[in-house]
Amino acid sequence: MTIVMARKLGNVVVLGANGAMGSGSGAVFAAAGIRTVFLARTRDKAEAGRQRAESMVKSTAISRFIETGGYDELEARVAEADLVFEAVAEDLAVKREVFARVDQARKPDAIVATVSSGLSIAAMCAAQSASFQAHFLGIHFFNPPNVIVGCELIAHAGTDPAVVAFVRELLAGPLGREVVETTDTPAFAGNRVGFKVLNEVAQLAEEHGVVFMDALVGPHTGRAMAPLVTVDFVGWDVHKAIVDNLHAHTADEAHAAFALPAYMQRLIDAGHLGNKTRARGGFYRTDGKGPDAVRLALDPRTGDYRPLAELARSLPAFVDQMKAAIRVGRYRAAMDAMCEATGAEADLLRRVVLGYVSYGLCRVGEVVARPRDVDRIMGFGFNWAPPSVLADAIGARRLIGLLDRARLQVPRVVVEAAEKNLHLFDEPEVDRGRFFVAA
Amino acid sequence: MTAPVYILGGFQTDFARNWTKEGKHISALIRESVEGALAVTEVAPREIDVGHVGNFAAELYAMQGHLGAFLVDVDPAFSGLPTGRHEAACASGSIAPLAASAEIEAGRYDCALVVGVEQMKTVSPAIGGDYLGTAAWYELEAKGVEFPFPKLFGKLGDEYDRRFGLDDKHLAHIAAVNYANAKRNPRAQTRTWYMNEEHACQVSPYNAVIGGRIKISDCSQVTDGAVAVLLASARFAEAYAARRGRALESLARLQGWGHRTAPLTFDAKVAESRDQPYVLPHTRRAITDAFTRAGIADCWALDGIETHDCFTTSEYMAIDHFGLTAPGQSWKAIEDGVIDFGGKLPINPSGGLIGAGHPVGATGVRQLLDASLQVTGQAGGYQVKDARRFATLNIGGSGTTSVVFIVGA
Repeated sequence: MTIVMARKLGNVVVLGANGAMGSGSGAVFAAAGIRTVFLARTRDKAEAGRQRAESMVKSTAISRFIETGGYDELEARVAEADLVFEAVAEDLAVKREVFARVDQARKPDAIVATVSSGLSIAAMCAAQSASFQAHFLGIHFFNPPNVIVGCELIAHAGTDPAVVAFVRELLAGPLGREVVETTDTPAFAGNRVGFKVLNEVAQLAEEHGVVFMDALVGPHTGRAMAPLVTVDFVGWDVHKAIVDNLHAHTADEAHAAFALPAYMQRLIDAGHLGNKTRARGGFYRTDGKGPDAVRLALDPRTGDYRPLAELARSLPAFVDQMKAAIRVGRYRAAMDAMCEATGAEADLLRRVVLGYVSYGLCRVGEVVARPRDVDRIMGFGFNWAPPSVLADAIGARRLIGLLDRARLQVPRVVVEAAEKNLHLFDEPEVDRGRFFVAA
Repeated sequence: MTAPVYILGGFQTDFARNWTKEGKHISALIRESVEGALAVTEVAPREIDVGHVGNFAAELYAMQGHLGAFLVDVDPAFSGLPTGRHEAACASGSIAPLAASAEIEAGRYDCALVVGVEQMKTVSPAIGGDYLGTAAWYELEAKGVEFPFPKLFGKLGDEYDRRFGLDDKHLAHIAAVNYANAKRNPRAQTRTWYMNEEHACQVSPYNAVIGGRIKISDCSQVTDGAVAVLLASARFAEAYAARRGRALESLARLQGWGHRTAPLTFDAKVAESRDQPYVLPHTRRAITDAFTRAGIADCWALDGIETHDCFTTSEYMAIDHFGLTAPGQSWKAIEDGVIDFGGKLPINPSGGLIGAGHPVGATGVRQLLDASLQVTGQAGGYQVKDARRFATLNIGGSGTTSVVFIVGA
């Protein structure tokens, strides 16, 4: 610890500090008592980011550690920085332009990190100096960073291991992060596994409806928020960027699940981006205000929005059984209800939920080193039941049978757990009950 | 103690959780804590002889009484288990282990399951504040008063100020230490929250005054939580230690207890103690009773304290009442860093009620579990180095019911 921490971190510069991720990440550094310079296109925008950081941590005391400036000060500020944290637009060309300026100004030992949620780390720094490349890596915080402690640390092949070790300890120590290291693969671990599920549900919504899919794969399947509500929250533009990138650059068993549904593309073209385009909406929209507000849902086949009540389909009985069991803390019983139910709807739900367990744990060896890495990023980053928590609640032996029947890959670690009669999830500090929600 | 009582271990739910948002009934809190305690200790359900539940006000918060009966629902082997529920406001979670340990001392039972539980996020802060008012003399001190308890514990600070002088910066330090400690505790409610002494000293929209000298940063926060521990007789503990290949001495043991009740209204308490050295003499008496029963001379025989900091003023009170300083001079221990995590006598390494959270009926059991983890070297990131003996102080009402345990190994 002491040897690694001998590198000092007295001064952080955040680029793009006016945005949600920039100001939120800046808040994390400043909250740890590190002098943090918020830079944005103008000083006023950086000031807005600083105020946002205050409101996130609910304290003005944080501003003692924050300075602000415009990009006209970039070179001067970067020249003093021990860590430059880039949170500008998620666009390779824009990022490269910024990195070229940073490369000219940075101290030879300054670390440069990007908050990118899925662009190639190696590609982002390819045009920069050897020193820049050796000090470059990804620190993927999740929004809002002061609340969601899971984060991914992504080195590329040329990152100096000592830099990785320093950042790992910085994140896990003073910044209080739950750190998961991933390879420099598209969308890293969390978004790769998470958006596979989200996009699959979006695809299925075309046939089964938005309201039905969200009700079927709702919180009772191990998530705080229903899948399509989540996509509206994230923004359809961000969703498209992530799944397009995955569809173009991965070729695994889930390749088809990364194809953006055509109806989503049509609506994106018409300016429907989810919650950020409130008037147009996404999967859902609220018309009117106050007591007259009406919650509408999208009909993917027509592109129309209709009142939720009109679109609601009755749910199969096993969904209510799952919720009733979760409400009183019987999580295994809830999984029993899911596993033992018969009918097309039960098959559909198992395809999504077991597909998640399978796809997540099958990324071990490719994206992450250990099952616990997938578990931690899904639990601490997405607030979803980690694949191993679901696998344990289902039982490894039964899970293998169900995966076979659903023609899903059986992860090696599940086979091992079944053979040795072991639990997969081994995180005594994590209170796993919170992942089962009866909303 | 007439016979030894051992603490085999236990389980705390994550106090950051909101069980209403999770769509859960209070029975889920009980179930998770019990299943967790059984898993951690590797004690089989059929080995449990009796169950005790500590809870303040489930009838109000969750429209549910008769909580002891929910233990029976946890496992088929609990069918017929004798159970009961105990209430003494915020000290409910200490009355339950007090009763369980008395039964073990009396030789009635060998292994007792003790649960402390409260689900509070079911209602708005204003309604919850009103419910908490029933821990005071409701008609005299709480009816029609917005957030009565911050005001009552503000008056405790005022009484210190009147008798000895009180600088609010010392209260801010107490808040900052508890929040800093909570960051090491993976089950603490506030572990990701921002706090420091500067913030705790400020009055701002982010740190508003709640009542009198009490600001938000001086308050423990409402939350949901459950904690279960297993208490055992020497006979049970011996066999238990043997089958786990451990020495009996390696288990945590209750070394002493104190239990006193003061007049219910705050004004009556202060009137009674007017000419006495301690502001809350019955709390002081509970502490010295526990010291005597444990056979220790004073607080310096302890390696740490888990105290009841429902507000910073209650921890300020605990510092001199435990004898870290002369009466009225708690500020000296604060300024000297005695109570800090690495200090001479750390207070609330868990984060206490302010940092770890205060699900009312769970707090006493949580303190007992944390004390037992500390003295057996199992407290992980918030372990006090080489701790062998800890004290807990759990208070109901405005200093009304005081329960102290001394836990050693």
